[in-house]
Amino acid sequence: MKRKITLFTGLFSLLLISSLLVSFNPGPTKVSYKCMIQLTNYNGHGAYVVVSLLDKDGKYVETLYVQGDDEEWYHDIPEWWSFYEKDQSDIDAITGATVGGGQRTIQVIQLPADKINAGYQLRFETAVEDQKYYADDLQFELTTENLKTKKEGKGYIRYVRMIPASS
Amino acid sequence: MTLSVWRFSHQLLALASSLFLLLASVTGIILAFEPLVEGSKPYSASFNEQTIGQTLEILEAQYPEILSLEVDRYNRVLLEGIDAEGASFRYYVDPESGKKLGEPEEKSALFRFTTNLHRSLFLKSVGRFFVGLFSFLMCLITITGFLLLLQRQGGWKKLYSKIPKEDKSSYYHVILGRWFILPILIVGATGVYLSLEKFSLLPPLALEHRLPEQIDETMDGTASYELELFKNTPLEELRKLSYPFSEFPEDYFEVALQDRELWLHQYTGEALSELSYPFTTLAQRWSMLLHTGQGSLLWAIVLLLVGISLVYFLYSGIRIWGVRTRKTKKSSVVVVPAEEADTILLVGSETGNTFAFAALLQKALLDLGKQTHVAELNSYQMYPKAEELIILTATYGEGEHTTNGRHFLKLLDEVSQQQTLNYSVVGFGSLQYPDFCAFAIDIDKKLAELPGFEENNPLFKINNQDFRAFETWAQGWSAKSGQVLKLEPLKKKKKKRRYIPFEVIEKSALNLDDTFTLKLRPQKKAKFTSGDLAGILAEDGNIRQYSIAKVAGDLVLSVKKHEHGLCSTLLSQLAPGDSLMINLQKNHEFHLPGFAQHVLLIGNGTGIAPYLGMLEQHHSDKEIHLLAGLRTKESYELYKPYLEAYPPQTLELAFSQEKEGQYVQDILQQKASWVAKGLENEMVIMICGSLKMQNGVLEVLENICQTELGVPLSDFENMEQIRMDCY
Repeated sequence: MKRKITLFTGLFSLLLISSLLVSFNPGPTKVSYKCMIQLTNYNGHGAYVVVSLLDKDGKYVETLYVQGDDEEWYHDIPEWWSFYEKDQSDIDAITGATVGGGQRTIQVIQLPADKINAGYQLRFETAVEDQKYYADDLQFELTTENLKTKKEGKGYIRYVRMIPASS
Repeated sequence: MTLSVWRFSHQLLALASSLFLLLASVTGIILAFEPLVEGSKPYSASFNEQTIGQTLEILEAQYPEILSLEVDRYNRVLLEGIDAEGASFRYYVDPESGKKLGEPEEKSALFRFTTNLHRSLFLKSVGRFFVGLFSFLMCLITITGFLLLLQRQGGWKKLYSKIPKEDKSSYYHVILGRWFILPILIVGATGVYLSLEKFSLLPPLALEHRLPEQIDETMDGTASYELELFKNTPLEELRKLSYPFSEFPEDYFEVALQDRELWLHQYTGEALSELSYPFTTLAQRWSMLLHTGQGSLLWAIVLLLVGISLVYFLYSGIRIWGVRTRKTKKSSVVVVPAEEADTILLVGSETGNTFAFAALLQKALLDLGKQTHVAELNSYQMYPKAEELIILTATYGEGEHTTNGRHFLKLLDEVSQQQTLNYSVVGFGSLQYPDFCAFAIDIDKKLAELPGFEENNPLFKINNQDFRAFETWAQGWSAKSGQVLKLEPLKKKKKKRRYIPFEVIEKSALNLDDTFTLKLRPQKKAKFTSGDLAGILAEDGNIRQYSIAKVAGDLVLSVKKHEHGLCSTLLSQLAPGDSLMINLQKNHEFHLPGFAQHVLLIGNGTGIAPYLGMLEQHHSDKEIHLLAGLRTKESYELYKPYLEAYPPQTLELAFSQEKEGQYVQDILQQKASWVAKGLENEMVIMICGSLKMQNGVLEVLENICQTELGVPLSDFENMEQIRMDCY
């Protein structure tokens, strides 16, 4: 519980600081992508899904999206958690409810424009309570071409589709 | 002590799961506030028969891109979409105007923490398993509790009839039990269901939609709100609507309604897939709703009360259990083997109270040198050296035998003693039940029929465990045996008694019956009223209590001097101006009830005293009749001045020693129809005096009720129309 409180206050202060920073520093340009994650018809609890940006060497750079806000379970997504635990930065999107088998979710993900077509990877990591964990349920290179195609996952994700948000 | 199977399981299960249940109840109480907090937020909307289509038309005009629309249990409409800058948003909106009402807040840390504790004790799956298991145990506890309640109340029909007042813990345990059985069962059962569901022990909840192989390629640009389903379905039917991912025809609307899910072609509105929710989904949804109280203020409050009542059940249950074990143990201080005892004391007890009396009696008998063996009725056996058999028994529920005495009558037939036994039966019961001391009566009858048993003392019945009545029985026993049985009063929690000094104002001379009245004036501020009890400390350290009257602010009591009575002798020696310390004790049971408009006061001997004050206090606002039993006409002189100052509406006197030889019950019988009519019109009958007179009066009243009204006297007893203080 202690960790949870520190995590919570940590998140909160980070949010405060980063919102202050943002107002002074516009940062790199972001591109909005509409992203649909369709899950397979598995049985069990809702899936935790984390979308991260990795560099050429497969190191975590940024967390783009987290589905599931119950931090109790975050360390069941170990690879991401080992990065996030140390380097807790602001996440653009965290949604509360997890999505169960057979369902889909549509989210907007902000991609940093300078990382597209620059050798970076997009990773979809999934975990379900009491079931197998997939560190790379779906992973592909972040290229304009890849963003246009439907990508199939190998774990709980059946496929992911992305299109630029309509603005 | 034998316990019935149900009581045993009820106690064992509750004790085993008490810590968990306490934790679950306390966290449950906190969580019950969540729906109250959520419901009080200004995001809920009223839909007024608005359709999904109308809503979409309003929203699409105001927001550039919509991803989904969700209606929750609080009637809040949550809109997800992408704004003009390409960023996503989540708002609660008003479906009629489309205006943003606010953003969903994160679940508060308190509720999140408490939910986790309540659901899994922070032990994840292991914790969930235990929570499910204990919820199941709670259901069992509730069911066994219900069976006990049925047994106690005497069947379904009487389930909600009045409960005789016993000690506070068991009284409220039963009262709350009656009202909360159903809600607790619901909470327990839904808790179990939700746990099962989490363990995938139930069929999967997700529906498996399949797209048809051919999808119509029309892209005619029909607006979404024009689609047939949306135009015809009210918004309140909707749970969630997800917009197609792209504008290509292979992307479709996902629509979740209350009872089914559909995938709709985004241009033609054709249902590409349509599946109804299976029973398990609906059961899961209802369980969630009933367990959490989401969306229903009223049910949330019920859940809150369930939580509070569970805490009270645990507290009072443990108290009842503690009291019972203590009482049962008390009796086994001295063990005299059955084979060597000359006196056998058999006890029939359901709640353990009778054992406390048995322990007192055993001690008194041992003091007299009697080898007294104490046992439960069911352990009746051969007693080779026994001379005397004393039976103390309660009656359970509606005239049933106690669990630890259910084989006794049969055993009497099977086991025959070699020598003749002198027997006495004492019944303990409550006059609030129709079958007062029924089990004791059965035993007494059986013993009278069987050879080898001689009645020593007649059957004696005691109401509400009245210690004074038990003393009266002991006096009868002493008179018969020629040995003085000295009972030590029941040890109650030693309360410091407060004594107030009174000054003797007036003392009448002893009349022919050795009776006199005392008028005492408080020297300090004293609160008392007619019907209360005055405790006077005698030289031997025992306290003798008298029913008192309050006449013009003074305390009046009537005393009969007994030859060897320490207390009455002390009082008879008082003279005006003397001081006397009195411990006043409230006696609500014998106050003139406020609702009473007509009252019939029945008393004999010194039992007339409290009425003198009641007449003074209420002679103008209530219609009061007095029926008094005295020995001789001269006895009346003692009370005459008081009764002439504030005369009752009618005054009837029964003189037992004059030539007509009348008792109060004789006069009562003559007035049968008047009494019956009175009882029907809420007349209150007060009875004060000797136990013998009380039993005689109750017998006549029972008879009047049965013949004139066709109902048992206990009906009126339960309406608090019969009030007694006899000794």
